[in-house]
Parts: sequence; structure tokens; C-alpha cells
Amino acid sequence: MPIQINKSLIGKEYPPYAVTVERGKIKEFARALGDANPLYLDDRVGAASEWGDLIAPPTFSVTFRDETADTAAFLRELGTDISRILHGEQEFELFRPLQPGQTYLCRSKVIDIYEKAGRSGPMAFVVRETSIADRTNEIVATMRHITIVRL
Amino acid sequence: MKYAKVYFDDVTVGDELPALVKGPIQQIQLTRYAGASGDFNPIHQDDEFARAAGMGGVFAHGMLSMGFVGQAVTDWSGAGTVRKLGVRFAALVRLKDVVTCRGRVIAKSSKDDVNLVELEVWAENQRAEKVVAGRATIALPARD
Repeated sequence: MPIQINKSLIGKEYPPYAVTVERGKIKEFARALGDANPLYLDDRVGAASEWGDLIAPPTFSVTFRDETADTAAFLRELGTDISRILHGEQEFELFRPLQPGQTYLCRSKVIDIYEKAGRSGPMAFVVRETSIADRTNEIVATMRHITIVRL
Repeated sequence: MKYAKVYFDDVTVGDELPALVKGPIQQIQLTRYAGASGDFNPIHQDDEFARAAGMGGVFAHGMLSMGFVGQAVTDWSGAGTVRKLGVRFAALVRLKDVVTCRGRVIAKSSKDDVNLVELEVWAENQRAEKVVAGRATIALPARD
């Protein structure tokens, strides 16, 4: 008996949350990827660059999460748990690189939830979008995230 | 040209990016990526948990492979050039897999002094199976 996914979450917007990017976090992320680009790692190279400081790798904003939110709660509300989910698709749009010391405001929304038959059985696709704005409320990046739930 | 490593004028549709080879994937890298990204799903750390979940054992975060693809692009074009990066996770990356990231220029366009290059990007394992497939858009400077 497959599990039921709670489609009433479509359109749900989550409370905005602020993230301040730490310099060490950018370096830790780049090193975890094995990416030694000096613009991610070398403060002096960053300072001499056109951005005046380090920049973050293009996928860095995947680290942004609401530290006050219970991430397991989203899965419970959806009607599933962490052992059933897979990452289906991911997209980043970047209007400006993310930089250390900056505080960004993130707004997430459930865009769509749909079901499809996969190779290994029925699956639900949960599409979420997050916009990332700087202090002047200008959108500097967006993320689109598709989670697959094995039903 | 302060940051980009290639000029828009020197890019031709059909050009291929140098391949970036990552791995073999080790558990320690998945643990390190978990710490760096904040994604502590035990399915990437705990073999028993991953087997009980029906996944046949631990596998890598999709975002690790996507990060590799991002590096393949920026190693070629320069950090800070990426405007868009979108991928589908096509197959699981397992421990000991070698991930090779590739890309190819599929279009160029210029509008309002912004020069964009569209890339097809993908990563494959040692059996030449695609594990990640998608698109990237980069902005490049033009020669004066």
C-alpha cells in the first residue's frame, strides 16, 4: 500500500529566514567539493578581485536553511520521512555571487506536487522554490529543488 | 578580464570543456560534504540505514556531484561566471565510483552588453552511465 502525499501543501509559503554567510563556511564547502579555486579560498585573492572579497561556489546556497525550523516537520507534513526521499532535480539562478559577511533573506514556497510511475514504483515529485534577497531586498539568487518521495 | 578565464569571442558552439575527474568517492568525502552542506541524511553515511531504506547501501549526495559539475564549468570559465546551473540526478553515485564531469557549448547570445554562453553539462561514472545531466548558463566578457 503506497503512502499518501499531502498535496494541500501546494502553494504553501514558509516564514522568511535570514542567513549570514560566514567566510569559513564558504571555504569549508569548497574544500568538501575538492574545489581549490582561490576566489573561494584565498582572502587576498578575493580582496583583489572585482567583488572585493571571496565569493561562494555556484551551489553554495544549498547550505541555506532555516535553523529555527524542524526540517523533519516538513517531511511529516508531507506524509513521509527521510528514508523515502531522493533528490530529483536542482537548479540555481545567480544574479550576483554570494559573499561572506552578507545577510540574505530566504523565502521558500511549495510550487507543485505531482505523482509519476518511476522505474522502481510510484513516486511523488515535490517542487520547491527559494528566493534569496540581499539587505536592499534585491533578489540575488533563486533555487528550485525537486524532491522525489518513493511512495 | 579580471575573473573570467575565457573571452566570449573565443568560444564556439560545439566546444567541449576539459573533463574534470573526481573520486574514487570515499565515505570521508560524504561525511565532509554533510558537514559543509548541513545535509545529514543518514542515507549518505550509514550503510545499515541505507540498506533498510531499500537503497542497497550508502550513496553520495546528489549535490556533491552537482558541485563537481559546477567546478568543471568554473575551472574552464572562471569563478563567478555562472548565471544558471540546473541538473537532473539520473543515477546514484556509490562509494568507489569515479565521477567525470563534462560539458559542451550549445548556444551563444548577446543582449544589452551581456554575453551568455549556454552549456550542456553532465557527469558520468566509470561505466560511462550519466549520473547527472543538465544545463548551465555563463556570462563572459567580450574582447574590447
